[in-house]
Amino acid sequence: MSAVPTTVAAPGASILRPRRGTGARRFRSGLATTLIVLAFVVALVPLVAVVWYVTKQGLKVFSWTFLTTDLPFSTRSVEGGMGPAVVGTIVITLGATAMAVPLGVLGGIYLNEYGGRSRFASLVRFLSEVLTGVPSIVMGLFVYTFWVLRVKEQTGFAGALALACLMLPVVIRTSEEMLRLVPHELREGSLALGSRQSRTIRTVVLPHAAPGIVSGSLLAVARAAGETAPLLFTIGAIQTANWSLFSGTNTALSTQIFGNANSPFLPAQDRAFGAAFTLILIVFVATALARVVTILYTRRTSGAS
Amino acid sequence: MTSLLEPPNQVSPDAPRPLVGGERPPGFIADRAFRIVAVAAGVLVLLVLALIVYATVSKSADWFSSEGVGGVLSTTWEPSTGHFGAGALILMTLIVAAVALVIAVPISIGIALFVTEIAPRRARLPIVFVIDLLAAIPSVVFGLWMLRQLAGPLADVYGSVHDAVGGVPLLGDLFGDPSASGLALMTAGLVVGIMITPIITAITREIFATTPVAQKEATLAMGATRWEMIRGAMFPHARSGVVAAVIIGFGRAVGETIAVALVVGSSQKLSANLLGPGDTMAGIIANQFGEAAGVQRSALIGLGVVLLVLTIVVGAFARWVIRRSNRRMGLAA
Amino acid sequence: MNPTIHQEARQSMQRHRFARIAAAAVAAVGVLTAVGAAPAGAAKAKPLAAATINGSGATFPQGYYDACRETFKKEQPNLTVNYPNPGGGSGKGRQEFADQVTQWGASDAPYPAADLAKVKGGSFLYIPTVTAPITVSFNVSGVKKLNLDAATIAKLFQGDITAWNDPAIAALNKGVKLPATKVTIARRSDSSGTTQNFTGYLTKAAGSVWKLGTGSTVTWPEGSQGGAGNPGVSAIIKATDGAVGYVDFSDAVATGLTYASVSNSTGKYIAPTVAAATAALEGVTLSADGLYDPLNSPNAKAYPITAPTWLLVYTKYADANVSAAVKAWAEHLIGDCQATAASIDYAKLPKAWVTQTKARLAQIGS
Repeated sequence: MSAVPTTVAAPGASILRPRRGTGARRFRSGLATTLIVLAFVVALVPLVAVVWYVTKQGLKVFSWTFLTTDLPFSTRSVEGGMGPAVVGTIVITLGATAMAVPLGVLGGIYLNEYGGRSRFASLVRFLSEVLTGVPSIVMGLFVYTFWVLRVKEQTGFAGALALACLMLPVVIRTSEEMLRLVPHELREGSLALGSRQSRTIRTVVLPHAAPGIVSGSLLAVARAAGETAPLLFTIGAIQTANWSLFSGTNTALSTQIFGNANSPFLPAQDRAFGAAFTLILIVFVATALARVVTILYTRRTSGAS
Repeated sequence: MTSLLEPPNQVSPDAPRPLVGGERPPGFIADRAFRIVAVAAGVLVLLVLALIVYATVSKSADWFSSEGVGGVLSTTWEPSTGHFGAGALILMTLIVAAVALVIAVPISIGIALFVTEIAPRRARLPIVFVIDLLAAIPSVVFGLWMLRQLAGPLADVYGSVHDAVGGVPLLGDLFGDPSASGLALMTAGLVVGIMITPIITAITREIFATTPVAQKEATLAMGATRWEMIRGAMFPHARSGVVAAVIIGFGRAVGETIAVALVVGSSQKLSANLLGPGDTMAGIIANQFGEAAGVQRSALIGLGVVLLVLTIVVGAFARWVIRRSNRRMGLAA
Repeated sequence: MNPTIHQEARQSMQRHRFARIAAAAVAAVGVLTAVGAAPAGAAKAKPLAAATINGSGATFPQGYYDACRETFKKEQPNLTVNYPNPGGGSGKGRQEFADQVTQWGASDAPYPAADLAKVKGGSFLYIPTVTAPITVSFNVSGVKKLNLDAATIAKLFQGDITAWNDPAIAALNKGVKLPATKVTIARRSDSSGTTQNFTGYLTKAAGSVWKLGTGSTVTWPEGSQGGAGNPGVSAIIKATDGAVGYVDFSDAVATGLTYASVSNSTGKYIAPTVAAATAALEGVTLSADGLYDPLNSPNAKAYPITAPTWLLVYTKYADANVSAAVKAWAEHLIGDCQATAASIDYAKLPKAWVTQTKARLAQIGS
């Protein structure tokens, strides 16, 4: 047993080990452990099943050609790829992330570090929580009414706006929760050493909460990349790749999956699964990269692993 | 090297010099700027969110005015007669969300505990990646997978369940006539439960990972088993955070559109039969908006408003439950 | 042998061979030009300035519009015509056209009176483009052909007839062995113009027998199975013994479904074919504003459940290039592209209608 604890509030593993106990206590603990492991296994089942299903169907068409060829005019067509949809998904999701994540994290910082229990902060907190429940299609309609109707055209930007509105409440709420988990002692220590509040946030609080904030943001981005309904009213349609967010209609992998999977023509269904496989791949790779970057960043700033 | 004979209260050369005149302390401006940025973010967020609420409410005004509160809550949704009552839909949405939460919350907590307490350190990151992979799957893909692969086998399962418990009075209503195609409230609850697991897991994992070691050591030092440590040290610390995670999960559950629309069976008749078809508010918006006109449009957007109210009510209820149990445990409310 | 005669013979042969080759080449070029001239004849229309015109709306005509977008692109390479997949629904199409978010629209029904005022772009035209039958498809083991009339269809879809060997069905199908299988109704889970037209037909043709009304969605009886889109309904029919459902012709053909012959207003049983759909149009009047109603058409050769659909175009656009593009697109739909309709299971317009509509298209851009 260590003579002096490292810090009062440090999380992580202790060198103390749980006892096995005797009799009923031992049984209960063993049962709990089994259930916990079971929970993990149960979660794996649908994951493996879906990934297997999508991969099996998607690999039939997945190739570099598939990723770069233009969309066919008709679902009947045997040729054609998902190039424009890949471009659309990347451009629109990046746009949405650029709008929602910085604003959401800053909003979470405001709520937890500056706003506290003030009426204004409570209102923001309340609205964020309430809007986590809005169906994605309603966000699409909102952007249609307030943006698309004004500019009289459908663009990738409108889609990005709709997705950003969808992501914002979740990013704010998770950021705030993660910031709240940072122990007060760390903050107080930093402030006691003469650091200003903004510096404390930047150098102590944020790095500590970063993994959690990144987690929440990544999940919001992953959801946005996979959403169909908000894009239906906002981005229109196009056959060729459009890298511009602000001019011209666009398309996305999620909407293409939706449109093609329901077709009676087999080539279209194959393309739908190819698109699904591509989307999962893109999102997963992006998520993994972001996590690795976060780990490297926090390792560098905090010194400890 | 200063001499030991120097007076102790001499200011060292590195100490900050005193301020003169009306000078501001160094770093003050940067600090203020950051604060302003944070507050501005809060204001912007408020504007955007308020605008969304305003837009949704105003577009649905037609529906509220033509139906009145009673009409809005009535249980018949009949476009052909122009009558749009959300009562049945509200109930069925809650049923689907309840099924989803019952599935997702224990599993998420289990995964979170697995990652923080049981799995070896090195396995932590791969497991996190696995959960990320689950989150990367688009909702429409889950819906299609459920529809194409699972609906058939589920229909058989529902048949067996119905045969088993159909006779029992209360259970028989919950597990009534099974849907022949497997498209049912339970199916929708299942697919939504899978989809909200990643977010609840992520938040819960962070919460468990930040449990103060001292609390855990306190229980362990008294000879606690693993389960007793979890229950005694980790759960109390995690409660309010887990509730926040559950509410976010609930929000996602009632807002899930396409996946639900594909597997719920699209029957607007009021029914508590888990094994039979139904519809949810988000699902019906997805299915009917493309052809809707006039009051129906307004009614579909109004369902969005109803969902806002629902999320408020559920959130308030959850927080009340927490406050009460906190009070009972003697913690700060 | 005399070498000169031999040489002469060889030269003559070579000349003849050369002539044969030349003739073949000329013929080949002639054939290629003739083949190429079919679209090239239209390409003789001067290439228009670059423009992109976006449309949205009904999924019923989508197969035809997609095929025509492809041929139109070859004809007018500078013009891009976009249409989402899936179209989004007639209601959405009308809304986006009215809001001027799209430059043209596709709808299976005209604007309801209340929405006419909300069309922001000024005067617009309803342009008929194509039509197709709505099949009553079924899956009953051992039954390959079925005759149905409006009243029986109504009873089937509202749950009054519960088994396939019901006397009402047997009366129309003497000599067909009908099993006692339970009837499963396959219908749409999403709102749709197809449902609107199908229920519209039943209201018109079955009168008071049909109790569920008309609409893009109706309250189907308990136990009915909802599928997403025409392919969803097709999938249910294919998978369930005893299922009956309503499916667009092109989807029914693509899925390989069996469909019934339906008795039309003259009492004859007509199978759903594109010829019968065009006949349905020929039996009704195309009004001056482009509207028409082919459901339960009086033509003896008509298939009674033939669904209408319209293209929506404005008469004036702010951008002259867009105006020209929309006009060319509409002309292509009712002109050159009509020949391809049958190959993708759509029915072309009667010739008189094409002439009448072409004249109205002159209003665009004027």
